[in-house]
Amino acid sequence: MSESMRESLSALMDDEANELEVERVLAHIASDPDLRQVWVRYNAVHSLAAGQPSVHLEMDISSQVREAIAGDSRASSGFRQRLMRPLASMAVAASVAATVVLGGQQLAQLEADNYDTQAIASSVSPVGMVNSLGASSVQASYGTLGLPELQPATRTAYQKLARQRLHKYMQEHAEHAALNTPNGLVPFARVPRIQE
Amino acid sequence: MIEQGMIFLRRILVAGLAVVAVSGATRVVATNCPAADTEALAWLDKMSRGLQHISYHGVVTFQRGDDLQAMQVSHSVAEGVATERLTELTGQGAEVVRVNHPLECLHPGHRLLQVGERLQAGKCGVAANYRFSVANGELVAGRQAVRILIQPRDMYRYGYVMELDRETGLLLKSVIIGRGEKVLEKFQFASLSYSSYTAADGGERLVHQAQHPHPQERELTTGNPGPPWKIGWLPQGFTSTDNPGEAAKRRTFTDGLSVFSVFMEYLSGEIRAGEGVVRNGGTTSYTRGMHLGEHSILVTVIGEVPLNTARMVADSVVGCAGPC
Repeated sequence: MSESMRESLSALMDDEANELEVERVLAHIASDPDLRQVWVRYNAVHSLAAGQPSVHLEMDISSQVREAIAGDSRASSGFRQRLMRPLASMAVAASVAATVVLGGQQLAQLEADNYDTQAIASSVSPVGMVNSLGASSVQASYGTLGLPELQPATRTAYQKLARQRLHKYMQEHAEHAALNTPNGLVPFARVPRIQE
Repeated sequence: MIEQGMIFLRRILVAGLAVVAVSGATRVVATNCPAADTEALAWLDKMSRGLQHISYHGVVTFQRGDDLQAMQVSHSVAEGVATERLTELTGQGAEVVRVNHPLECLHPGHRLLQVGERLQAGKCGVAANYRFSVANGELVAGRQAVRILIQPRDMYRYGYVMELDRETGLLLKSVIIGRGEKVLEKFQFASLSYSSYTAADGGERLVHQAQHPHPQERELTTGNPGPPWKIGWLPQGFTSTDNPGEAAKRRTFTDGLSVFSVFMEYLSGEIRAGEGVVRNGGTTSYTRGMHLGEHSILVTVIGEVPLNTARMVADSVVGCAGPC
């Protein structure tokens, strides 16, 4: 997989890709196994983080999506287009996810992964997981809720985990930034709370 | 007929060689670093060389969104060593101090900015990853500034606008620019004086002695480090800022303008795969839970890089069966 394709794919996942990049990914995804694999991995992570069961891996690749893009770019223009673009590319990303062609093996792998995490979810609540890592800010009541409510809780838990890690590690990062960027000690100003 | 053909061929060959020779002699930069702005790079070089050697003190503001912080900074040079101090005037009011930093001590990030020698050696250095240009600056902290516009050549790093003192090359103002020309954070001097400065004792403050991670100093790994791991992909031009072991929990990389760190945690229990992101000004903190062989791990990438970069770096983490 080429570097530029990797960039396009990554932009697509962040809903930051332009139409050209979306088309490039679509054009290559069918013939490039590496690209497909990276896409599947990114997408699996996204779906799990967003609490979706997983992608539905239907077989029809890209033509509908391509038509949708073509239609979209013809129909809208100017301010409206700019306004709608993030929504449009999000929709495109979702539909690409639903139409990626996968080999049987990859499909099995993905479903196995999904099965594992489902099993974990029902036996150990994500809250329990987070608490074992030292998070203190997650409410204990999440643990008593049913599965559907647990899914967004996982996302919340990860959000809190990321914030907590930022607090934990920012100073160590700033030590390096202070010595390797031209800003002197100023990177320490980014540290939420400086420790001795 | 054949002879004529041979002469013709030889002429083409000679002409071709002449072109190569001329362009090689006049502009090494042009052949290796297309569109490298030598004036901007010279300013950057000057800034980087002056960083350690100039004595100054002043007040700096640091802005991220609606949040504005102020701090006092000082940098004094005496007898071959520099002493630096940053005292927060807002918020926590903590102080960070670095004493006796040898002037000749050069860290990888600054080495990358000293592009003069690199260009002569036919290497682009930081110019391979950023496009530089020079513009007229305005006054910053009462000093006449020159403005350096810095655009990334790929999507793995942010852009910058830096304003340097026309006289000394000191960095007076620095802005991080994200996608869509969005200002992510800004620091600038509000007042500046070129002299040594002895800070008055601020009374009861938390004082942090800045550490000194350097590639030539092997860090000691404390505690149980966990299995060795490595990062399979880095954006072009990033290099290690220090020399951690292959089992170390942290790796940090710089391209001269931007720095990011990768933190690894091996978990004792299971984890649901997922990701979480916090962005604050120019800083992205990306935490990713996943499986590495039979281990559950939590990888956190923190740095002044776009989310894309953090995600792709985290995605490339692999375990090593033997030594990495």
